Amino acid sequence: MQEALLRIREVSKHFGGVYAVNGVNLDIKHSGIWGLVGPNGSGKSTLFNTILGLHRPDQGEIYFNGKCINNLAPHQIYELGLVNAFQLPRLFYSLSVLDNMLVAARGHQGDKLFNSLFLRRRWQEQEKGLIEEALDILELVELEPLAFSPAGELSGGQRKLLEIARGLMAKPRLLLLDEPAAGINPKLGNRIFEKLMDFSTNGIAFFVVEHRLEILFEFASWVYVMNKGRIVLKGKPKAITSDPTFYSIYLGEE
Amino acid sequence: MGPLLYICDIIVYIGIFGIVSLSLNLEFGFAGLANFGKVAFFLTGAYTYALLSQIGVPFYLCLIAGASISAILGLLVSLPALRLRMDYLAIAVLAFGEILRLIVKSEEFAGGNWGIAVSPVFPWMGSHLAYRLENIGLVYLCLLICFLVLQLLANSPYGRAIRAIREDEVAAEALGKDRSKYKAQALMLGSAMAGIAGGIYAQYLQYVVPGMFIPMVTFTVWMMVLLGGPANNWGVLLGAALVEIFDRGTNIAKDYLNLPIDPSNLQYILFGVLIILVLLYRPQGLLKESKIQTKALRLAHNARSTAKNKGS
Repeated sequence: MQEALLRIREVSKHFGGVYAVNGVNLDIKHSGIWGLVGPNGSGKSTLFNTILGLHRPDQGEIYFNGKCINNLAPHQIYELGLVNAFQLPRLFYSLSVLDNMLVAARGHQGDKLFNSLFLRRRWQEQEKGLIEEALDILELVELEPLAFSPAGELSGGQRKLLEIARGLMAKPRLLLLDEPAAGINPKLGNRIFEKLMDFSTNGIAFFVVEHRLEILFEFASWVYVMNKGRIVLKGKPKAITSDPTFYSIYLGEE
Repeated sequence: MGPLLYICDIIVYIGIFGIVSLSLNLEFGFAGLANFGKVAFFLTGAYTYALLSQIGVPFYLCLIAGASISAILGLLVSLPALRLRMDYLAIAVLAFGEILRLIVKSEEFAGGNWGIAVSPVFPWMGSHLAYRLENIGLVYLCLLICFLVLQLLANSPYGRAIRAIREDEVAAEALGKDRSKYKAQALMLGSAMAGIAGGIYAQYLQYVVPGMFIPMVTFTVWMMVLLGGPANNWGVLLGAALVEIFDRGTNIAKDYLNLPIDPSNLQYILFGVLIILVLLYRPQGLLKESKIQTKALRLAHNARSTAKNKGS
């Protein structure tokens, strides 16, 4: 059996006396859409930030592709192919939509100071290919006509789409998405998940926090339910929806 | 002859401070680093040049040494400073500049208050005009090299990465950009360029004294960048020219004006007012931020416009 892509073992993170994440164990395999749901304040975003290296876990280990990533900086974790799309888009607003995409390209040789000055031909060639890839991804999220406009001119929904597109541009092995369908009209939300399904068959796994359960449960292959910093339920979406404890957690005590 | 010499002198100054403001543009305009200690690196270049030229080192080695030592200082300053937030970084490097000035003022090897005499690159041939013209050649050669390097960087993936760090450093870090490394590189390169400008300045004036390196120099350079347009190398050169002409112009004007207060103080006040006006009414500066232009981007853009023309 193939080892899981992301393995989280007994990870805890507390702020002062409050355990935001408390002894979490979970596995993400090499493809498919993996859901993470739970009420507000249950620790989902803290867990994401801990995986990404924005917080250090107080306890436990996080393995990505067999390698312990506890003590790596965010940019090193990104280099391994573990990429994130923020819940509130954090774009580079004065740069064009296309430049936002190109910043995210993994392994762009011109990113280095020396190469930028002295190996111009090499990265110029590479950039041609990257631009094509970027325009293809932008086409999927219907932003291609705006490729040369500043990101600051996009509407709220479009910013969200660009945030996701930027994550895809990095050709991740695992993309963390924090509420990709929030603030987007239902039809487009559905289409985003359809696209994610397409990508996941090409060997990208997605780990998705989403409150719009009707969309998530249609596409997810496995769902973890978090409450008060712990994983309280896990299983296929059908099994989750038929579990009465899920309702009491998510919709409040009866 | 008088006015011509004066104009040539202004042209030399525009070139020297053009280099310094270009270097600040790399740090602040592109990478978002508020370097309020610019004068420290200018001073380092000038004093390195002065001390080395005294023991007979050829001028180009003096310039290179000044640039290298400035770059090393830039790196050293960046180590603790980059952990600070932008406003604290500004205060830390401002203090660093003052500390350096006080060191050269109190140390004997640096000539103390009286400074050191510096031998010029171009020996005195008995003509003020020739001396200035030769220096214009040297200054603008260095300016051209710095400008070309910065233009190449601004229009490269490296320039894209540092602009991304300026816009949102957490997001840039999450997209694989090691922000400390990029910031340290920008500070090193910017400091090296300021060091070269300092060396040229020292040999042009043929002396260095601590009084030449007061914080006002830093603020003047900031004025050039803010007025011309941060993240636009052409704009910054325009800003350098305008501020230098304004500076010299008010110097002349005070000979013809009868004011109740000392006109030199009025000049500082006018500077302050100008900075406030620019920030209020034209925060992007005279010229807007330059777009990133790589060959590949241009090709993609052209392909799109031809497709559009065919479509319509």
